[in-house]
Amino acid sequence: MVSARHAGHLPMTAPYPHAALAPDVPAPLVLALPKGRILAECGPLLARAGIEPAPDYADENSRRLRFPTADPMLDVVRVRPFDVATFVAYGGAQIGICGADVLGEFDFSEIYAPLDLKIGACRVSVAAPLDAGPDDPARWSTVRVATKYPNTARRHYAARGIHADIVHLNGAMELAPGLGLSRLIVDLVQTGSTLRANGLRETEVIAEVTSRLIVNRTALKTRPEEIGAWVARFRAAAA
Amino acid sequence: MDELAPPHPALLPAGLRDLLPHEAQAEAASVAAIMAVFASHGYARVKPPLMEFEDGMLAGAGAATADQIFRIMDPDSHRMMGLRADMTPQVARIAATRLAGSPRPLRLSYAGECIRVRGQRDADRQVPQAGIELIGADSAAADAEAMLVAVEALAALGLARLSLDLTLPALTPALLDEAGLAGTRRDALARALDRKDAAAVGEHGGALAPMLTDLLLAAGPAPDALAALRRATLPAPMRALAGRLEEVACLLRAQAPQLRVTIDPLEFRGFRYHTGIAVTVFAPGRHEELGRGGRYLSGGGEPATGMTLFADAVLRAAPTPPVRPCILVPAGTDPAASRALRREFATVAALEPCDEEAEAMRLGCSHVLRDGVPQPLGAR
Repeated sequence: MVSARHAGHLPMTAPYPHAALAPDVPAPLVLALPKGRILAECGPLLARAGIEPAPDYADENSRRLRFPTADPMLDVVRVRPFDVATFVAYGGAQIGICGADVLGEFDFSEIYAPLDLKIGACRVSVAAPLDAGPDDPARWSTVRVATKYPNTARRHYAARGIHADIVHLNGAMELAPGLGLSRLIVDLVQTGSTLRANGLRETEVIAEVTSRLIVNRTALKTRPEEIGAWVARFRAAAA
Repeated sequence: MDELAPPHPALLPAGLRDLLPHEAQAEAASVAAIMAVFASHGYARVKPPLMEFEDGMLAGAGAATADQIFRIMDPDSHRMMGLRADMTPQVARIAATRLAGSPRPLRLSYAGECIRVRGQRDADRQVPQAGIELIGADSAAADAEAMLVAVEALAALGLARLSLDLTLPALTPALLDEAGLAGTRRDALARALDRKDAAAVGEHGGALAPMLTDLLLAAGPAPDALAALRRATLPAPMRALAGRLEEVACLLRAQAPQLRVTIDPLEFRGFRYHTGIAVTVFAPGRHEELGRGGRYLSGGGEPATGMTLFADAVLRAAPTPPVRPCILVPAGTDPAASRALRREFATVAALEPCDEEAEAMRLGCSHVLRDGVPQPLGAR
């Protein structure tokens, strides 16, 4: 009998399969899609790009997270919008569809964003209570902001010489000013109706946002033909 | 979580790790194998120190590592010292000073640990490097030699399927200069190019946009990218650089046809001291770079090119080297007999009489010496 540590495993240094031992036939590419708002808008785009995922991919009640497509060399995964960027940055998915808001927030250097898909249009904006009195931000040294975009908010205010004190929330930002958590919020705005319903108004647009096709850098370097072909198909589909 | 608990004794600072039995051995063996290939091509090994005075470390090519070095005040001289984040600037310093009188081209190799403030490729802050520098030669043959020697070193570890991505880090800044771009518009365009955002390149590129977009889309297999470079309108020095790139791609194809060669003309990442052709080594199916290299100016503006392999990434990608089988040797065995066994086995001496079979099992040996004959465990 040979004990496990003589079987030649290097558990700490080899968290991934050995490249040299991997089969020459590459694994299917993985396309990461954001669940929620953008997913419905992705459907027609995927169809035009010739991607036919298993039909339950758009069913948010489906417990499956990874779906085959009609193309055996392409699988689809459905993850939270912020996680699309993370999956692609770490190479778990080679391509993905991701809002520019997420890319601006994370700034992963391993992600290329070759294509504006022109779907999911909205904006990252500053909103303040309707009843906020006259106030000159030029006089502020610091401002407390509730947001799920801490880096974006910090950068925006730093460029104006203001330190943003961040209250990091994952949802219901609109409650924060009214409940005294913050003076302002920085959030994604589509129509502005949620803001109005909560006594807020949009005061400043930080960035106009659309969804981008994103690509993992190493995947583009090592599988340029396949990735290039998908980018070209999406480019044609988005035109 | 118990905030009051004392820190766990095993907890290390982020990005640092212990290598355990077999892992440490495998890493040392792979570095030794890499260095043996370097030596076989006439690259003489040098060993710069782990830390140096900051101002020396940041001179010349080292300036690019300024935001990556840990700094320590030397209590003796009261001067600031830095821990090296990259060994290439140190080897360039040696070539320009102590070895200034050595004949050129000078071929040097090195292996050692580097420490970075932030992990660059991943979370790791301590990065073992093994590399070569070819100093005092400015030719396609020199560029190709450094790449091919590194490829041979990786092949010695069983990494035969490799992908080399060639880049021209000086091209993008030169094109932006040529177009007279400055300030935020330049930054926006540079960022768009870095992220391969064709829409933003179109938006910020102005008159350059069509050519930049063509080059951007041509990134990939060498023939297409070279064709796009031939079509592009380039300032004269960049035209010469593109010609050099074509020569190097030709040499690689002729001398290592099994290599996959891609070209990304507009990429300008990495330690930003590269002035000519730069290269990144990938293994298919891996998410990390195995090495980087390229042409730079050594001390006094001397032309130089080099390759650095990241030993940890290489180790993760390479097939596991075989582990020497262990044999338990009973207490009192003749030392000469043990010595003979060490030609094949690692001998583990029982320090006192015991049930050798059980002891061998307990210590993870694969064999036991019984009646002077090596027996695999469980053979009886």
